[in-house]
Amino acid sequence: MSVLINKDTKVIVQGITGGMGSTHARLMREYGTNIVAGVTPGKGGQDFDGIPVYDSVYEACAKHEVNCSVIFVPPYFALDAALEAINAGIPLISVITEGLPPQDAVKLHAAAAEKGTLVNGPNCPGIITPGECLIGIHPGSIYKPGRVGLISRSGTLTYEIGLGLKQADIGISTALGIGGDPIIGIDQIKSLELLEADPDTDLIILVGEIGGTAEEEAAEYIKTNVKKPVIGYIAGVTAPPGKRMGHAGAIISGNKGTAQSKREAFEAAGVKVADTPYQIIDLVKDQMAVKA
Amino acid sequence: MRQFEYEAKALFRKEGIPTPQGFVISCAEEVFSIPAKTFPKTLKTQVLSGGRGKAGGIQFANDQEDAYQKAQDIFKLPIKGELPTKILVEPKVTIKKELYVSILIDRAYRGPILMGSAEGGVEIEESGSIEIVPVPGARYSSFHARELGAKMGLQGKELIKFAGLVDKLWTVWTKNDCDLAEINPLIIDGDDNFIALDGKVTINEDAVGRQPQFAGQLAAHLSDLGEREFKGKMCGLNIVELEGNIGILCNGAGLTMATMDLVLHKGGKPSNFLDVGGGANKDHVKRALDLVSSSSDVKVLLVNILGGITACDEVAAALAYYKEIRPEAKMVVRLVGNNEEKAKEIMDKAGIPMTNILETAVEEAVSLAK
Repeated sequence: MSVLINKDTKVIVQGITGGMGSTHARLMREYGTNIVAGVTPGKGGQDFDGIPVYDSVYEACAKHEVNCSVIFVPPYFALDAALEAINAGIPLISVITEGLPPQDAVKLHAAAAEKGTLVNGPNCPGIITPGECLIGIHPGSIYKPGRVGLISRSGTLTYEIGLGLKQADIGISTALGIGGDPIIGIDQIKSLELLEADPDTDLIILVGEIGGTAEEEAAEYIKTNVKKPVIGYIAGVTAPPGKRMGHAGAIISGNKGTAQSKREAFEAAGVKVADTPYQIIDLVKDQMAVKA
Repeated sequence: MRQFEYEAKALFRKEGIPTPQGFVISCAEEVFSIPAKTFPKTLKTQVLSGGRGKAGGIQFANDQEDAYQKAQDIFKLPIKGELPTKILVEPKVTIKKELYVSILIDRAYRGPILMGSAEGGVEIEESGSIEIVPVPGARYSSFHARELGAKMGLQGKELIKFAGLVDKLWTVWTKNDCDLAEINPLIIDGDDNFIALDGKVTINEDAVGRQPQFAGQLAAHLSDLGEREFKGKMCGLNIVELEGNIGILCNGAGLTMATMDLVLHKGGKPSNFLDVGGGANKDHVKRALDLVSSSSDVKVLLVNILGGITACDEVAAALAYYKEIRPEAKMVVRLVGNNEEKAKEIMDKAGIPMTNILETAVEEAVSLAK
């Protein structure tokens, strides 16, 4: 069944007429995602490659069955777009946009929590259930369908691992790019909860990086709540303290958020930790051999 | 974007937060324009790095001649490698109490928090008496400030005055899209007035674009950065300096960090972090190559691109150009993904070997750097 998205997911794209929105709306549709409508304020009534465009999310939801929105609007408009989707009652939104001001992010997540909306991102590559549905910007061809769940704060590093798995003929149930910002919606714990409950996932890969304490908290959660094997990896062993390593959330503050602390937390929770991205693949193979 | 103290105080005054009546000077000779009867004065170096007090960047002057000597010294005194271009001159104030207050976003609370302490003035990390009041969803009201003040032990008129000041600091924080707005020390003077004796304000870098009052100021606020980091900021490239000799150029923050870690794992040392970002075109990659190789420490360039949105042939074209102008440069290239075949043709033509296996590329770069 996979998690969050599948072949029955009905998606709208907010910002479908913009540069990034239009490119990825096409790629998502080519992959097989069911895009029922697009939204760009002021461009209602237009047609995007056969996809109807509306002025508002409300209108799109009135005319179509919608259960997911992917947001590609520029950073300073992303809060408004997300609030519109939350208000319209869409249960899952994915905010791909990078560079959302933190004060906007706080408001976005507070509104989502009140309404019970699941938010993927912001600053993320989205989610893919290979062979069924892609929301966001993952290169679809890099993954093959299978039974490994993948959770990651990074984009290209996720692709690297997806590709390595595919070359080893190992497939993915769902890959969740949860985002590189300091405050995100669906986090590592929520992702673990979903994949643990998913009957079509046998094993979970958790890719973390420096900054914050999400991995330490995830490790605590794994100890008592996750029975499936978890393989971990942390990027940023070489990162100096006090510097933002690309992602807004990837920064060691004082002595908090180091790769070392995260690795130790993983190990204490029984998570097998890979030193390199390709070691992840070896650990997955070992684990699958044990199971067989 | 960290503001200098004198700029932070200007932001404070705009919202009605009292500060000492100060002004900045750009050369030591300016002290002779200060009326003699207004001494003594405090001279404060204006740098972005912390720890200036301990390093001797804050001095008291009794008269013009004293101020002249001390201003000359301060202008020559680097703080963590950073020289000041300005000194803030302020009157000395009488201090009855020193407090601390700040507003910032805390990841654990998923939103802003108010932080306060009744023991201001010192490095606040060292103070054992920090109080925290979260402001969920950034829905601030004065009661948050009164709650904080009460936790800090303030009562009566002091509590009410404190809350009024935090209201104003909240306005500074939201209006300017701050990451941090901090007053340390926040003093109560001999006449029971609350005064911001120091100020630390950081504007969020992602939000600067919607804050026109800070437009064009970035270059002046990077004095604490290394040379390549400064240049990178100026041309939109995200680079972080390290001390090794293998120049790194990748796409995506996570993959870049993983590549650096792999270099270390194989016994090498990365010279930098550089993420060219998603969808980089030829010119952008050319700038990135120039930037990475502008350090004389760099012996080998390691390029690792996994093309999702980024097209490998755009990267290959930039590499071919670079090879032409710098034929002696050692380059190890791993390109995989979007338009990989086209990229291979360009690379073959230019005579640059490439691999699609990351481990191979890293091993080769490490051995070339030795």
